[in-house]
Amino acid sequence: MLADLIQNTLDGLSIGAAYALLALGFTLIFGVLRRANLSYGAAIMFGCYCATWTHLNFGAGLLLLAAITVAGTVLAGAYVERLCFAPHRGGSMIAAMVASFALWMQFEELVTLVMPTHLYAFPALYEGAPLAFGPYTLRVDALVMFGAAIAACALLWGTLYRTRFGLAVRAVTEQPAAASLAGINLPWVYVRVFALASAIGGVAGYLVVASHGQITPMLGMWSTLKGLLAMMLGGLGSLPGAVVGGLALGLLEAHSQWFLGPQLRDLIAYLLLFVLLAARVPWMHTRSAS
Amino acid sequence: MLELKALSRHFGGVRAVDGIDLAVAGGQIFGLIGPNGSGKSTTVNVITGLLPPTSGTILFRGEDIGALPTHLRLRAGIARTFQNIRLFGQLSVWQNLWVAQNSAEDRARQGFFARWLGGQGGVREEIARLLEFSGLAHKQDELAANLAFGEQRRLELARALAARPKLLLLDEPAAGMNSEEIAQLRDRILKLRDTGITIVLVEHVMELVMGVTDRIAVLNFGQKIAEGTPAEIQAHPAVRKAYLGGEAA
Repeated sequence: MLADLIQNTLDGLSIGAAYALLALGFTLIFGVLRRANLSYGAAIMFGCYCATWTHLNFGAGLLLLAAITVAGTVLAGAYVERLCFAPHRGGSMIAAMVASFALWMQFEELVTLVMPTHLYAFPALYEGAPLAFGPYTLRVDALVMFGAAIAACALLWGTLYRTRFGLAVRAVTEQPAAASLAGINLPWVYVRVFALASAIGGVAGYLVVASHGQITPMLGMWSTLKGLLAMMLGGLGSLPGAVVGGLALGLLEAHSQWFLGPQLRDLIAYLLLFVLLAARVPWMHTRSAS
Repeated sequence: MLELKALSRHFGGVRAVDGIDLAVAGGQIFGLIGPNGSGKSTTVNVITGLLPPTSGTILFRGEDIGALPTHLRLRAGIARTFQNIRLFGQLSVWQNLWVAQNSAEDRARQGFFARWLGGQGGVREEIARLLEFSGLAHKQDELAANLAFGEQRRLELARALAARPKLLLLDEPAAGMNSEEIAQLRDRILKLRDTGITIVLVEHVMELVMGVTDRIAVLNFGQKIAEGTPAEIQAHPAVRKAYLGGEAA
């Protein structure tokens, strides 16, 4: 029993690391633009399909595939920013959200046109046996996932708090008009925020696809839902909250799958979100309103 | 330095700024006064690019800047402060000044990485000098949101100066200040003028406006009703009428 609990916790943390990355990208966009980007997951899926296509046609090493995934996601993210968010800046929140939904569909149609089979194999991150620690096993790809998530968090934190670009992002988040009057080029900051968020999402997408060893167009919806859920669990717009939310979601899923079965796994997460929203827990409604 | 020609800004049917002509000579302290709602702040917003003009021309150092986006106007040399303070509260005092260093000179002087990772090419010295000038050197690591009101006003001024402006627009810098603080502000404004910065001062506090400006324009209902030296303005019948109300004069 205890052994199962510990094993589930390990599994939950490793998938939670991927959720945390998804939520970080989501939160970055939401925090800076105050807009939900529904095509966030679709951009990630697009990036992963770019890598899959390259792999099928030319074959490529793992690192190159990871780089292509990230590059494809960044490109798709910049496209989304230009089409959905740049025209609606300061305008309607709903218009930007609906436009991002339209681009989600666009990405899905595009990949199914170019690659019509529902499921493609993706080169696995690691094919050997999992590491054994006494009674517990730890998959190597899970370790890589965890390490990459920690590295991405550290890099993001360093960028936001230690570089001039990061300061500009935080200045724009707080006081857009004053920031532009301080000489900061707002549209350029927004594009780069999207690119940064997409790069983080691309890393997450690559890790998930490579650890599953396969890809379907459902990846888009999956990424958006998991990212959104983790972001909301951690409190809208808080970066540390996104990490905590992602890990919590992973743990919750792993344990509820063990105790209640895979059918109820997703239901439990949404139920928790519903209960937390209904109970108006403080961290989900408080943004640093400065 | 700055020239407005038939500048208008309408909000629907409201003519907030209605055909203003104005010329600010280099090195001047130019006062812009008028009753509440007379179009002063709108004029400043149009000059800095926060609002596009409905019609008219804005010339800065002889060039038409009417179509330039806000951040490029700053880089060209126009900086401002706000009537209601708008600092980056979650950044430290030092960071507020660093992130605002966007003059063309500063950008040209530093390489990409130096600019990203911080403070080379005399930038640190420049920030230290600004902190000294504003009396905030001992608070440089404090979050801007935690400063006292007067300190926040000084930081906002320093942030505007971080862009090495040639023209500085001050939107009611004395609002909420006591007379001692106003005296200090007055000294700072005069010192800035002596360094060659042209200043447009939008202000209600008459002891400040009359004491430091070289020239004053008076707005009422979006139009310029008078212009002249402080002494001329104080004696001007239309100004007295605008300030004292329609019947009083």
